[in-house]
Order: sequence, then C-alpha cells, then structure tokens
Amino acid sequence: MDILSLFIVVPALTVLVLIFTKNLKQARMVALAGSLVQLGMAINLLFSYIKEREINEAIMVFTKDVVWFKNFNIHYNIGVDGISVALLLLTAIVVLAGVFISWKMEDLPKEFFISLIVLSIGVYGFFISIDLFTMFVFFEIAVIPMYLLIGIWGTGPREFSAMKLTLMLMGASAVLLVGILGIYFNSNADGGALTFNILEIAKVNIPVEAQRLFFPITFIGFAVIGALFPFHTWSPDGHASAPTAVSMLHAGVLMKLGGYGVFRVAIFLLPEGALHWSWFFIILSAFGVIYGAFAAIKQTDLKYINAYSSVSHLGLVLFALLMLNKTAWNGAILQSLSHGFMTALFFALIGMIYGRTHTRDVTKLGGLLKVIPFISAVYVIAGLASLGLPGFSGFVAEMNIFVGAFEKDDIFYRIATVIAVSAIVVTAVYILRVVGIMLMGPVKNEAYLNIERVRWYEKLGILLLLLPIIAIGVAPLWLSEMILKSLDPFLKGVL
Amino acid sequence: MNFSSFLLMRQEIALLAIILLLVIAEIFIPKHKKVSIIHLVIFLFGIHTIVGFFEIDESNLFGGMFRTNHLIHFFKNVLNIGVLILLLQSADWIKEKIVNQNKGSEFFILLFSSLLGIYFMISAGDFLMFYLGLELSTLPVAALAAYETMKRISSESGIKLILSSAFASGITLFGISILYATTGSIYFSEIAHMLTSANLTLLGVVLLFAGISFKISLVPFHFWTADVYEGAPISIASYLSVISKGAAVFILMILLFTVLQSLAHFWENIIYVIAIATMFIGNLFALRQQNMKRFLAFSSIAQAGFILLGLIGGSQLGTATVVYFVLIYIFSNLAAFGVVQAISLQTGKENIKDYEGLYRTNPKLSLVLMLALFSLAGIPPVAGFFGKFFLFTAAASKGFYFLVFLAVVNVTISLYYYLLVVRAMFLRKGDNPIPFFRNKIYMRIGLVITVLGILLLGIYSPLYDYIYELSSAFN
Amino acid sequence: MNLNHIILIPLIPLAVFLILGLFYNKIKPAVSGYVGVLGLLISTSLAFYSAYNYFFVIGKTEGVYQTIVEKTVWMNFTDSLHIDMGILVDPISVMMLIVVSVISLMVHIYSRGYMKGDPGYTKYFAFLSLFTFSMYGLVLATNLFQIYIFWELVGVSSYLLIGYYYTKESAVAAAKKAFVVTRFADLGFLIGILIIGYYTGTFDFETLNNPEGTSILNWASTSFMGLSALTWALVLIFIGGAGKSAMFPLHIWLPDAMEGPTPVSALIHAATMVVAGVYLVARLFPMYYFIEDGFALNIVAFVGAFTALFAAVIAITQTDIKRVLAFSTMSQLGYMMLALGVSGYEGHEGLGYMASMFHLFTHAMFKALLFLCAGSVIHAIHSNYLKDMGGLRKYMPITNITFLIAALAIAGVPPLAGFWSKDEILVAAFEHNKFLYIIGLFVAGLTAFYIFRIYFGIFWGKEGAYKNKPHESPWSMTTPLLILAFLSIVGGFIPFSEFISADQAGFETHMNYPLAAIAVFAGLIGIGLSWLFYKKENELADKFANRLGVLFTSAFHKFYFDELYLFVTKKILFNIIARSAARFDKKYVDGTMVGIGNQTVNTSEKIKGLQSGKVQDYAFAFIAGAVVIAIIFIYIWTN
Repeated sequence: MDILSLFIVVPALTVLVLIFTKNLKQARMVALAGSLVQLGMAINLLFSYIKEREINEAIMVFTKDVVWFKNFNIHYNIGVDGISVALLLLTAIVVLAGVFISWKMEDLPKEFFISLIVLSIGVYGFFISIDLFTMFVFFEIAVIPMYLLIGIWGTGPREFSAMKLTLMLMGASAVLLVGILGIYFNSNADGGALTFNILEIAKVNIPVEAQRLFFPITFIGFAVIGALFPFHTWSPDGHASAPTAVSMLHAGVLMKLGGYGVFRVAIFLLPEGALHWSWFFIILSAFGVIYGAFAAIKQTDLKYINAYSSVSHLGLVLFALLMLNKTAWNGAILQSLSHGFMTALFFALIGMIYGRTHTRDVTKLGGLLKVIPFISAVYVIAGLASLGLPGFSGFVAEMNIFVGAFEKDDIFYRIATVIAVSAIVVTAVYILRVVGIMLMGPVKNEAYLNIERVRWYEKLGILLLLLPIIAIGVAPLWLSEMILKSLDPFLKGVL
Repeated sequence: MNFSSFLLMRQEIALLAIILLLVIAEIFIPKHKKVSIIHLVIFLFGIHTIVGFFEIDESNLFGGMFRTNHLIHFFKNVLNIGVLILLLQSADWIKEKIVNQNKGSEFFILLFSSLLGIYFMISAGDFLMFYLGLELSTLPVAALAAYETMKRISSESGIKLILSSAFASGITLFGISILYATTGSIYFSEIAHMLTSANLTLLGVVLLFAGISFKISLVPFHFWTADVYEGAPISIASYLSVISKGAAVFILMILLFTVLQSLAHFWENIIYVIAIATMFIGNLFALRQQNMKRFLAFSSIAQAGFILLGLIGGSQLGTATVVYFVLIYIFSNLAAFGVVQAISLQTGKENIKDYEGLYRTNPKLSLVLMLALFSLAGIPPVAGFFGKFFLFTAAASKGFYFLVFLAVVNVTISLYYYLLVVRAMFLRKGDNPIPFFRNKIYMRIGLVITVLGILLLGIYSPLYDYIYELSSAFN
Repeated sequence: MNLNHIILIPLIPLAVFLILGLFYNKIKPAVSGYVGVLGLLISTSLAFYSAYNYFFVIGKTEGVYQTIVEKTVWMNFTDSLHIDMGILVDPISVMMLIVVSVISLMVHIYSRGYMKGDPGYTKYFAFLSLFTFSMYGLVLATNLFQIYIFWELVGVSSYLLIGYYYTKESAVAAAKKAFVVTRFADLGFLIGILIIGYYTGTFDFETLNNPEGTSILNWASTSFMGLSALTWALVLIFIGGAGKSAMFPLHIWLPDAMEGPTPVSALIHAATMVVAGVYLVARLFPMYYFIEDGFALNIVAFVGAFTALFAAVIAITQTDIKRVLAFSTMSQLGYMMLALGVSGYEGHEGLGYMASMFHLFTHAMFKALLFLCAGSVIHAIHSNYLKDMGGLRKYMPITNITFLIAALAIAGVPPLAGFWSKDEILVAAFEHNKFLYIIGLFVAGLTAFYIFRIYFGIFWGKEGAYKNKPHESPWSMTTPLLILAFLSIVGGFIPFSEFISADQAGFETHMNYPLAAIAVFAGLIGIGLSWLFYKKENELADKFANRLGVLFTSAFHKFYFDELYLFVTKKILFNIIARSAARFDKKYVDGTMVGIGNQTVNTSEKIKGLQSGKVQDYAFAFIAGAVVIAIIFIYIWTN
C-alpha cells in the first residue's frame, strides 16, 4: 500500500469500524484514533516529501497509476507536490481538531463521525488526485455529506441551509463536469489519446478557442465552493446552521478545494483562457474581498461575521491566483492554509462560546474575557491573526499576495490591488468590533458569571489549530520554499 | 435448420417451459399449498437466470427473423436479474395479496409471458417479430396492472395502460407499414440499405419512434406513466419502470444504430429536443409529488431523458454507456421500489410524508433507499454517478456540450427532490414514524442484491469494459 | 563587530513576555514585576555597552559612522525581493536603543509601585515586555518590511495596553480607535512599501539610503499624476509615520489613548512609540531629501509645523492633565517633524536632522518625566482633572520638584535639556524658512504657557477638596522621577551633533545667541503669563477665555475633529456602506440564488395541469406530439 492511498484507506477503515460502535464513547474513541493516525501520516508525508524532493525533480512525487476505466482512459492516478502536502496536513489537523470539538456529540454520534470522516476522505482524495475524473469523484464525495451533517445536526433553519448549500455546490460541480468533459475531449489536440491525466493534458496545446470557452466554466465550477462573489451566499447560511465541527471542516478545508481546483485545473490546463478571462474574475474577486469585509461589519451573528470574513479572505485567494505570478500564487496557497487554520479556530471558539452562552449574538454577549479567559484570549489572538498581524500566518500570506499583485505594472491591476489591500483596515474594524463588544467591556449577563471554563479536549482542539498559525507566522521560510519549488511547472503556461 | 440451432433460442424456450410448468403446477398443487408456488417460481427462475449466463453463439434463425448475439444475450440476462430481484421483492406481497385469492400462478404466467415478449422483441430481426414481441410484452402487463381488482385505482390504471398502449401499438404499426411501403421490406438488414430520406420514410420513422417512446415514456408520450404506476401494484410499477422500459430503450437503440443509422442526422435532432423536454418535464413534475410511486414514476421519466444523451452519442460508445446505465438504473430503481414495496406492504403508507423519521426506526431500510436515491441522482461513489457521467461523456464526444449543460442543470434539479426524500427519512423526526419491522427473507435478499449492485457496479470497471466489448455488435 | 549582544537586547524582553504570558496564572505578581525589571535592566546595560562601543570604539572609520548590518532572510517573495530579519546599527538606531531602554526601565520600575495590587499585574508586565521587544525590533530594523512588521507589533501592544482596563467601555473604545486609525495610516505605509519594492527591487535601508543620489534618482523615473512613483511612496510612508506620531489629521487617537495606565502613556504615547514616525522619516531621510529635491520632505515640514501649533493651542484649553500632556506630545512631535522637514543633508546643512533626533532624545526624557509625575499625582488623588487638584506641592515635594524641572525643560529654559534641542530646531527652521521659524517660536511660547498652566494648577493655587490627605508616592515611583529629572537637566549637554547627523559624519554646532535669546524670551513670556493667570486662582483666565469666545470653545473641543471622524465612520462607512452591503447581500445576491430555486418549484406548480388524468387527453397529446415532431423535423429543422 503506497503512502498516499493510505489517506483513502485509513479513513475508510475508520468508517468501517465506526459502523460497529455502540455509543458516543466508542464512536469518538474510534474517530479520535483514526484521525490521530491520519495526522501521523500527514506529518510523515511532509518529511518524506521533503526528503524525496531533494532527489526527485518530477512535478508530482509518490505517484501511483492504476488504470480504472480503460476505454475512457480513466486512471486512479495519485501524487503530491508541496502544495498538496501542505493542504493534506491542514486537513489532517482540522479533522483531528474537529473530532475533539465534537467530543460531546450526543445525537447519533456514530453517524456524525462517519459523515465527518467520509467528508475527509473526499478532501484527501481530491488533494492527491492527478486524474480529473478521480478528482471530480472525490470532489462530490466531499460535498454530499454536508447535507446530512448540516441537516441532521445543525441548528436554526438547518433544512433550508443544508439544501441551499448542497444544491449550490452540487450545481457548481455539475457545471464543472461540463468543463472537465470539455478539457477531456480537447486533450487529444496534439494527436494523442484522450486523457484525464492533468500532467498529460498540461503538455497538450489545447486550442485557444476551446480554452476561452471552458476556462470560465471550469473556474466558476470550482470558485463557487471557494466563495467567489456572487456565488458565496451558500456559505453564511450554511455555516450559521452547521454544527461546530462541520463549520470548521467546511470553512477550514472544503472551501480550499475551490482555490486548489482553480489552480490545478482551470489555470494549469487552460492558461490561454486564464490570460483571456483573468481581468473579469479579478474584478469579481477583488470586489468580493472588500465587499465581504464590509458585509461582516454589520452582522451580529458570530458565525455570519466569520462567514463573510471567509468570503473576504478567500476572495483574496482567487484574486491572487488570477495574478498569474509566482509570488501571488505562493501567497494564495499560504492564504488557503492560514485561513484554513484561522477560520477553523474561529468556528471552534464560536462553538464553545455558543455552547456556554446559548447565543451567537454579539450584542447579547459582553465581558467574556472575565468569565472564560482562555477561550476569549485565544479569540483575541485569532482575531489579530485574522486581521493580518505580523507573527501570524495571515500576514505572511497577505504580504505575498500584495507584493505579487504589485508585480503587475498596469493601472487596472494597481487599482484592483489597492482595493484588495484596503480590506485590511475594514477587517481590523469588524474584528475589533467583536472583540470590543463580546470579550471586553462589562459582563452583560449575570448568568455568564458561572459558565464552565474550557475543557481539556476543547483546549487540545484549540491549540492544535493555534500552533500552526504561529509556526507559519514566525518562520514562514521553509513552508514558502516548499510551495515555491512546486509552483514553477505551473508557471510556464501563463508566462 | 437443425435441432441444435434451437439452442440459440435457449432463453425463450426455457422461459416458455417455466410458464408451462406453472400451468401444470397450478393444476396439481392443492389449494392450501399454493404458497409453495412462490418458492417454486423463484427457484425455477433463479435457475433460469443462472443458466442464462452460459455463452451462446451469435447467429440468425428463421431467415433473420430471430437473431441473437452476445450483447442481446447479455441484455436478456440483465433483464432476468431484474425480474428475479423483482420476484424476490414482491414475494411477500404476492403471498398475502395474490396467492391467498388463488391467483398466484396466473400472475407469474402473465409476468413471464410479458418477459418472453420482451425477449422476442429485442431479438427481433424484422419488424414482424418486433411487433409480436412488443404486443406480447405489453398486454399481459395491462392485466397485471389491474390485478388488484379490489382496488378501483388498480383497475383504472389497467384500463389506462391497455388503452394507451393499444393506441401506441397502432401508431407503431402504422409507422412500420409506412417503412415497409417505402423500403419494400420488413427485415432490418434490408431496410437499413434501402432507406431514403424521403418525407414519407421520415414520417414512418417518427411514428415508429413515437410508439417505442411510449414504452420508454418519453415526453410527450409519457402521460400514462404516473397514473399507471400509482394505480398498479408496486411490483408491476417497478416492472414497467425497469424491465419494460429498459427493454424498450434497448430495442430503440438497436433500431437507431442499425436500421436507421443512415438517417442519424434526422433522428439526432429529434432526440436532442425530446431529451431536453423529457428531462425538464420529468424533473419539474417529480418536484412536487407526494406519493412515492408517482414520485418514482416521474423520476424514471427524467432518467429516460438522460438515457437519450447516450443514444445521441451514437456508435459503440453510445451503446455501451446506454446499456451500462440501464443496468445500473435497474438496480437503483429496483432498490427504491423494493423499499417502497416493503413499507407499503407493512403499513400501507406510500407518501413521502409518512417516511419522516424513518431512519430512527428502520435505519437499514432508509439507508438502502438513500443509496438508491443517490444512485439515481448520480452521486459518487455509488453506481449511478458512473452511469450518468458516461452518458454525458457520450453526448459530449459528439460535441453536444450545451445539451450536457442542460442535463447537469437537470441533475441538480433532480438532486433537490431526491434529497427531499432523504430529508424526510433522516432530517425529520416525524410525529408518528413508521414503527420498526423486520422484512421476510426474500425481501431482504432482494434488497441486499440491489445494494451490492449499487455499490459495486460503478467502481468495478471490468464490467464496463466487458459491455464496451459487446457493444461493437451493432457497429 | 560582533553584534550578538545587541541581538540579545530585543530577545530578552521577548523571553520575559513569553514566560509571563504562558504562565500568567502560575506566577506570583511580585515575582513577575521583578522578572520584568530584571530583564530590562540587562537589556539596558547591554544597550549602554553597545552605545559606548559603537560611538567611541568601533563605530567610526575615517570620520564617518559606519552602518553595520547583520541579517538573515526571513521570507522571500521573489529571487531578488525578500524580507530580512536582522539588526542595523547606526547612530540613530543606537540612540533610540538608549532612549527606549532608559524610559522602559524607568516605567517598569515605576509600574511596580503604580500598578501594585492590580488583578492583571502579570499580564501588564507581559504586555510591557512585548511592547519593549517590538520597539527594539522597530529601532533595529534593517529594511522597510521588518520595520513594518514591528510597526504593527508596537501598534498591537499599544492596543492591548490602552485597553488594559478592558471592563471600561471608554478604554475599549480608545484602544479600538487607536488601532484602527493607525491601521488606516499603515495602509498608506504598506502601499508605499509595495511601490518602493516594485520600483527599486529592494527593501533594504542600506541600498535605499545610498547617498549617491544617482541611483535614487534613477528609480524615480516612472511618474503618476506629475509626481514620481517614489515620491508617492514617500508621501504614503509619511502617512504611516503621521499615523503613529499623531500628526494632523491622524492625531485623533492619541488623546483618547490616555485611557491606558499612566506609565503606559509615559512609555508608549510620550517617549517611544509615538516617535516611531519621526524615526521612520529619519531612517529614510536620504530618500526624502534626494528624491525630487525633497518634495515629500516639504510636506513633512509643513504638516509638522501645523501640528505643533494646532496641538499647542488645544493643549491650553484642556482640563484633563493627561490630555494636556498628550497634546503637548503631539506638538513636540510636530517640532521634530518640522526639524526633519527643514533639514539639509551634508555637514551643518543637516542641522535640522540632528536637532530633530536631539529633541526626540531630550523630549523622551522630560515628557516621560511629566507623565510619570502626572501619574504620581493621579495615584495620589485618583483624578485626572485640574479642578480636583491644587496646592499639592506641600504634600508631594519630590513630584513637585521633578515636575517643575520637566516643565522648565520643555519650556526651553536654559540650561535644561529642552532648551538645547529646541534651540537647534529653531535655528534650523530659521535658516530654511522664516515662516516656519515664526510658527516654531510662537509654539515655544504656547508650550511654556500651557505646561506651567497645569504646573501651577496642580501644585499651587487653591487646594483641592481632598477626601483623605494626599501623600508622596512610594520610592519605587519617585526614584524614576529623580533619575529622569537628572537626565532632563544634563541631557542637553551631550554634544549630539558629534554623533548624529544626516550624513553620519558629525559636525560642530555653534550657539546662535540672538536666536537662542529670542527663543528663551518667548518661553519666559509664556511662563510669565501663566504665572499671572494660574499662580493663585483669579478671574483673569476665564475672562480671557470668554474674550476669545468661539476660538476658545472650539479649541476646547479639539476643533471638533472627533465629531467629524465619527460622522464619517459611523454614519457613512458603517451605516451607509456596510449596512447596505449586508442588506444587498441578503436581499439581492442571495435573493437571486434562492429565487432561482423557488422559480423552479413555481414552474412545476404551474405546469401540473398538463397531467389531467384523462386518457383521451393523453391520446391527444400523443398524436399531437407525433405530428408536431414530424412536421418540425421533416419540414422545418432539417440538416
């Protein structure tokens, strides 16, 4: 069994074992064990990748290629580069944190953890796929459990939100399917055989018309899950209704599939299309960045605030990807990672606050620093990280994006960039607003004076997410080196 | 014409034998032992199904009137499996509702005659045999639809079916006769060469097409579907939606790809439009159905629309994807109908609303239904996804990207209503959920088989490769 | 030169911060206080050692102070463009090390007394260490991005310390205001950095400040709206500096920042962080000076001058002593900017540059002293307002004396520190631009006036109604006062120009007696007036105020700038833009998405009639369908 397929097999086994668990205790133990193993594998993968990279110049390493449907030339074809390794690590960490946060999942625990793990299978598979078909399969596997997760264990208008989220995302993936077929049937432009293999297709010169036709389709297909304005509206309701761990996994990991797919498929395979369309999507994403930030200011529901800030932060990812240069891309990947950790951390904290105060309305909360100092302090830190304070991952990512964006010497790009940059101020406003109202100030509600302090499993979950944020923020070089090395092959198409 | 060549009709003969055996059994089995007929039938048909898998060599009989090849043979086996599952699933129902009224053997005889008709239809080498098969496959079903004579609605559906299908056959026959008039032959092989794109010929094609579309229930020839499904016994509804529809698709495919190949430019347009209409109408109607049977009826209409994308893909790819999809569709739909059957038998409830909270009382059943619906909706990793993806690939291979786009839009719509059922079962608690119950052994076997099919048929790629090999038959 | 000991200077406070931060609920307050002070004591001594080492031992080679840099890549954008972390040692950075160390140490010691018994004692010292670390990092930065990084860090530590009393709404608001306003300014700073990075391909001060103007001027090629891109960059960077140094119109956060504990105000909002802006301009001085003949530099000069005047006028009218001091700080910072603005580059030309740094140095001492004295007073009578004070001199002798010394220093009375530095500034201004000189002179007068106004108000005049008899603060608080007082007296005698000059070559300064005399005279007038007005309570002041009428009231309301900002942010940005964005999203964007869904359902509702249930209709549809298809595809759509 090769090192990568384990990322499918181990979770699958976890699910199998989960099926036979009887109660919450067993279920969570199994889930915990499973996700611990996954984290172990991810870390191991990281190191073995770094070692492998020294001797192996291939775009993808640890590749494995098994023919699946030979008539369509569909393969189970997997491999990783620095980018996917980093994202796999992110996933493993968030999943583990999610398990900790769901430690007290009373209702249908077994089913909950099963759906959670199935979701993670989809994500892992997506990140390791080199074959478009396989990638697409895993993409949908990752999305569909959301319906049950939000629908069954959610709060508020869960049925509506779950349906809306699922339909928008599946609709997007359906559109994506057209794009993928379009790419597939142009993959023999140079007279070769039709193929779904990304690396093969990248070698082919797909006709410019085809590229221009299929780039927007593919881009949107992926970007919807990346919360591209105006297709982001599934996210606020979805997050608001989803149970904590699901929000974490979804905002932390699932939304990253968008940027990753745009980068790996849309831009990599259709560079001409990217060059032709980038201006349009830059407008959308840059607008999304500032728009999300402003929309976040007036929200009162913590989850909505975080959802809109995600729209803003991930808008930055797409924005950077469309800049089509190395620095910005590096920033985009880093931003994906850092946003993954930060937003997961936010949702975890929000979940804890909600679990204790039974409200997510900031105006009803106040002075939490006094009653739950640890959680509140971490919230402040997360907030500072999210507004791009140096020393945290967000800063590193944003600076890469801005510097990269500035490499485009053209008034249009300049304006777009300045708009995107100015979001850092608005971000500061809505973050500090929450911190000021919710954490500082006098304790508004006497009942909060005796709410329980943070529990050990919550603490573990929090630290698990907090440490990477600081690690990346303090010593970004090794990570960005790893990513930068992997970017070169993708660059040649758009130069 | 020696004895051995009769073995080429092995399937038909075997089935005929079973039917005769049933007649005899009916006579000799004492009244209070009638139940044993069910076991007998399942046993015999099981054997028949298994035997069916033995290789059979390709050739024609009766001067090309009856022909067989590996693809046809394979398809017959597929239908056998379908019928077998169907028998397993309806065993309990038959026992309680039919046999006890001492109408057991007739039921099976009619069912098998219809199947026999289908055999002949898809093995037809000329329009005469085709028409005979068509009729034989339809009329008994009409009787079966009206089988629950106690129920007014059942008789109604019987009448509706007999009337509309008589009408359809008439049209079909008219179309055939026109083709005969223009080409001077009823043999597929000869017609294929003598076809011209004279308007009259085209008219004949249209009418023929309309007649078959009726069985596939393509828009606008679909209206009977919902009413009949709703009224007919569930087993018959599922028989119509799976077996006879599948067979009709298959024969339509044969006709289009062999006999009418030279008119492809003509029927491609028709299918293009019909596909769009069928998908949209089917889905939009399915959206607001409350009754599971009507719901599945419209969903099956929409599915037929998707199948057309494979047909428009043409050639070997098209054939393979269509057969593959039909195979998967049989399993998925039978699973769905099976669950509906089980529940309706236990509680008599058939509305989506009644399914609320089902998961908390009957987790296994609801999981089966969920898998079935996901498969119908085309969500990986269950088989339905692969079936649909390949259909779309077939259409895209001919450059029909816009059609594919409309199709995926419909996939999203269909996902919505499939999820409505999932919602009822999983998300809702339900005021008075269906209490827990255990299924009888046959039902369980039936469901397990379907589930296995749903889970494995997609991922197990050699199957598709095999079908793809067979599909060269008509090219 | 081995810089390891210099690297230790910032690292020690960082270590202290981490220790106190991580174990904040395990460490006893007393201990944490000592840890903080001890750590800083080491840093300070190291700072002095390296200062001595640099200025007198190894710094100078053939008459020019060298810029010594040690750095390592921290984050790379492209092969050429990267952020380094490192330390840059040159006269001003060493000078700043001294300033930061001394003030911070004093404040640490002082705080042990001032914050005694506060619940968040440990947290407080942790934050102080965090700030000190960041400030060191800022001072030693080797490139624009490093300075920006620590710039943000000092910003956040200031945020945390202003909001230290986090249960007080006003404190929270002030902290938020300070952060957001400076953040807004930093936006300019960041864009400036990006522009420089793009056009020059480097962030390093060494390269950027290369006095061989040629290279700099080459960069200045591409132009936008008549100004070269680099001028724009410098202006934007100055905006950043103006934000931190509370230059008009980005000053509004500083007065509110007084919500923080008084020692913090002394450290951050008087002596160190607020001078970061001045330091930044000084850092990039060669660029400011050479690019487009110092266009950007003129902006600096005028903004500085205006702020000095503007703030001084407001300071006169305020009744909260900390706010008076805050505005006085603004005004003095304006002085420094003014000085930079009027400075030249080589030799005596660079007088302004040197004067600015000199004033930064002396001001740090006496302004910190003033704040700590104010703190000691507030500590004693638990009020910030003049009306509650008066006649404290007999209760708090040490505070009284030290405050007086500081007041004289800031008033520019020889031979105290303030006199020397201020005098140099005025000379520089005089030589460069008479108008600015006049403003400077006038401000000098005002300064003397408002500072003695509060001096008399606090220690003389009618005794306030004290509940319990006020008493002198503990030694832990008074020692720093005495030390700083001593520094405020002798600080001026340092031959600053020897060490610090724009071209780092050093030069001789000569007393310009007439100008000095005028300056001193201006100061004495100010003192005299306030003696008349406030020595013992009388009607004069109020009469005079009433005479001024509108001018006075609007000055008292800080010329309504807070209100203006509130209007722009609250009313326009939040209520109009933000809210409408939120509503637009819910109503239209989301509306469309949901609408599509609903529309589908409606359609299915509409067409349900087609399924009539009558066989005859079906038959009709059947035949009609067949016919229509036949007609369409046989006659119309043929290909």
